Amino acid sequence: MLLIIEQLLNGLQLGITLFLMSAGLTLVFGIMQIINLAHGSFYMIGAYVAATVAAYTGSFFLAMIAGVTAAAATGCIVEMLVLRHLYKREHLDQVLATFGLIMFFNELVRIVWGRQPLFMNVPDGLTASIELLPGLPYPTYRLAVIGIGFLVAVFLWLMFTKTRIGMQIRAGSTNREMVGALGVNINLLYTLVFGLGTLLAGLAGVMAGPILAVEPGMGESILILTFVVIVIGGIGSIRGAVAGALLVGMVDTLGRAFLPSILRTVLSTATADSVAASLSSMAIYILMAAILVWKPRGLFPAHG
Amino acid sequence: MADTLLKVSRLHKSFGAVMATNNLSLDITRGHIHALIGPNGAGKTTLVNQLSGDMQADSGTIHFLSRDITRLKSYRRAQMGIARSFQITHIFENLTVAENMGLAICAGLGHNFKFWRHWRNTAAIKSELPIALERVDLIHRAELTARHLSHGEKRQLEVGMALVGKPELLILDEPMAGLGPGGTVELAKLIKKQKGRVTILLVEHDMDVVFSLADRVTVLVYGENIATGSPEEIRNNPVVRKAYLGEGG
Amino acid sequence: MNRKQITLWCGAIILILLPPFALQTGSPYLLSLGSRILIYALAAVSLDLLLGYGAMISLGHAAFVGVGAYTVGILHFHSSAAEPVLTWPFLFTGSDNGLLVLPLAALTAAFAALIIGALCLRTIGMHFIMITLAFAQMLYYFFISLEKYGGDDGLSLAARNSLPGLDLGQGSHFYYLCLAALFLFLFFAHKLVNSRFGLIIRGAGNNDRRIKGLGIHSYRYKLTTFVIAGGSAGLAGALLANQTEFVSPGLMHWTLSGELMVMVLLGGLGTLFGPVLGAAVFLLLEETLAMYTEHWMIYMGPFLVLTVIFAKHGLFGFLSGDKEKNG
Repeated sequence: MLLIIEQLLNGLQLGITLFLMSAGLTLVFGIMQIINLAHGSFYMIGAYVAATVAAYTGSFFLAMIAGVTAAAATGCIVEMLVLRHLYKREHLDQVLATFGLIMFFNELVRIVWGRQPLFMNVPDGLTASIELLPGLPYPTYRLAVIGIGFLVAVFLWLMFTKTRIGMQIRAGSTNREMVGALGVNINLLYTLVFGLGTLLAGLAGVMAGPILAVEPGMGESILILTFVVIVIGGIGSIRGAVAGALLVGMVDTLGRAFLPSILRTVLSTATADSVAASLSSMAIYILMAAILVWKPRGLFPAHG
Repeated sequence: MADTLLKVSRLHKSFGAVMATNNLSLDITRGHIHALIGPNGAGKTTLVNQLSGDMQADSGTIHFLSRDITRLKSYRRAQMGIARSFQITHIFENLTVAENMGLAICAGLGHNFKFWRHWRNTAAIKSELPIALERVDLIHRAELTARHLSHGEKRQLEVGMALVGKPELLILDEPMAGLGPGGTVELAKLIKKQKGRVTILLVEHDMDVVFSLADRVTVLVYGENIATGSPEEIRNNPVVRKAYLGEGG
Repeated sequence: MNRKQITLWCGAIILILLPPFALQTGSPYLLSLGSRILIYALAAVSLDLLLGYGAMISLGHAAFVGVGAYTVGILHFHSSAAEPVLTWPFLFTGSDNGLLVLPLAALTAAFAALIIGALCLRTIGMHFIMITLAFAQMLYYFFISLEKYGGDDGLSLAARNSLPGLDLGQGSHFYYLCLAALFLFLFFAHKLVNSRFGLIIRGAGNNDRRIKGLGIHSYRYKLTTFVIAGGSAGLAGALLANQTEFVSPGLMHWTLSGELMVMVLLGGLGTLFGPVLGAAVFLLLEETLAMYTEHWMIYMGPFLVLTVIFAKHGLFGFLSGDKEKNG
């Protein structure tokens, strides 16, 4: 029972990271109608800059500010230099150009920081564990990640429902012509949305730093999970991003944790372990396929 | 009536609070050119979309050849003999004129899982292609990529493609929109040529065109059929004059 | 003879004469590089059927290359371990016989493409791009989880497949096998895109809604194309496994899918012959840049971005003076 709760929390924590990634990306897809493969690069930049600043200053707070700022700033520059030329192009062009960006950023990171992974310390004060229930200690840092994720989700929700810019963005993700008709400066709005998306990706990267190894190519593994989330949730939908992220986080974590023991009840240990290994690594894709058969446009398709 | 090709009964369609089609009934007689007119926003395109199957009605029925087609998908309706042209020209811009027409012919050939022989060397295409191109005066443009055609020629091509399958009913949604006077005359001639061979539902703004071509005219206002009759009757109908013709002068 | 035909003949002659040239100049390395170009060209041409003709932007094409390669690897593994692949429902043993293994590799990949394609083609646009990528990644993780076949590290082949009358261990024999496969596939694909089937695929790629409006159920045609492309990518994968005598999940990694896409675009989308040129240029560029710096991607990345923004018709369009795609 305690193990289940612990794994549920782990699933939640992965789900939160995925939400930060997919919330920004789904907006970029929905509003700008542009497919951006390089979203994971901003996650990586956030993590690298944060790890470096943390190593120099020892302050996680400064590291976080630096990482998030670096990701958002790079995002805005990339939007203005490259993506702006691609809005009216076909998806194929966008795929190739952003693929080129990934190559560039991965290699840049290798040149600046080398091929060896960096490790980032858990911030002071969050290194301990909290005993949530008797017999269930849980790392404070992971709880903090979950908490920050929730705060961001609430912040986004408030922004989209209560503020003018949020409503403009939301209107844009369901009806592009309307944004123009409202007399909004599209160029500025696009840069802002892209900056916001990359900021969130950078935040996800910073927070993943102490949990995962910071290494080149780390952006791509998370990117593909993010795609799965968006496909499940529906392009352009924040609600879909929440639902998809939690679903993927849970299924992936619980599958890895419990499939071996479940399968051992019916199969021999060796077979069960190898089947479970294959099955749990494919679980979220099977989930995606199932949802696709049921709802080809995702759980919460944005209209239009 | 044995001669009724399409029978629409009590059709409803609303978008939120807006009634786009309101209790609409309509009979189209085989062989007629039946015009559908009405002010902007009268729900003409919405009606056409429901007839072609691109949109589903909320309630009511559509019978075609005495069969209920209300819930059929658009491609099934196309197979039954309903062809349509769109308000915005809908052709294969990157293919040549001949290839466009070839595709329309292919659509009538059952399956097309023929991987080897050049598409032009199929017997049916070989015999039909020149006729189909000739029908809409495009034979001299056959090898041009469709994107390079003039606006009027694109329309001609589109109508030509719709005619290839020998449809029972051809729906033309504002075919004259955006054409210059020359193009309008050309296309009207072309439509007139088809009179009697195919039943046509013509959605059109240009009153000269409507009154010169149509056998029957239906006037749509706010999604409602306010009058149907011969061009003469419609011209003299006081309700229509007030609701529609009066406005435009 | 027009400019396009001259370009094609020159290309064919260079490819045919490469082995004697390599022999004369005593550079066997040229042969292996040549074989690699031919194999990637085969995969790129098959991808061009999807991208350039059907407008199906698959970002998971490497998955089928990987499935083809693993078919060779796994059959070899069982053949050398003298352990049958299957004992039930029928006995199926490993093999190194190219006459069996190569077609089987293509068929297995085609089967994988059938299942993945059937699901992916329910969607369009961005969804399709993301889903093809996701399913390819699923296969990638699946093969990583197969401890028996080396997991992450992959499988080594002790020798290349055998074919009657050929010694694939010899560079030139293997090169000509790859060349024959490429030429045959190009011929087939050329026939295909100009057939009635091809006309429908090109129509669907240009305006899928209009195809449906004509009463043509484009899904089946697209799926068939997806299966043909997947199968031929599988054949390329099988040849690649033979060439490197090694298979690993890395073959399915999405960077390879991306690189294949780059080759297609570089050579010319929807030109069939262009991707061959694209593969050659990409691999040569990679080799050359790698000679000067291990960080060749730092140049390749921006090069790609600039190519996309500024070059619209690919290299083949430039050489052949042919600006219309789908010609």
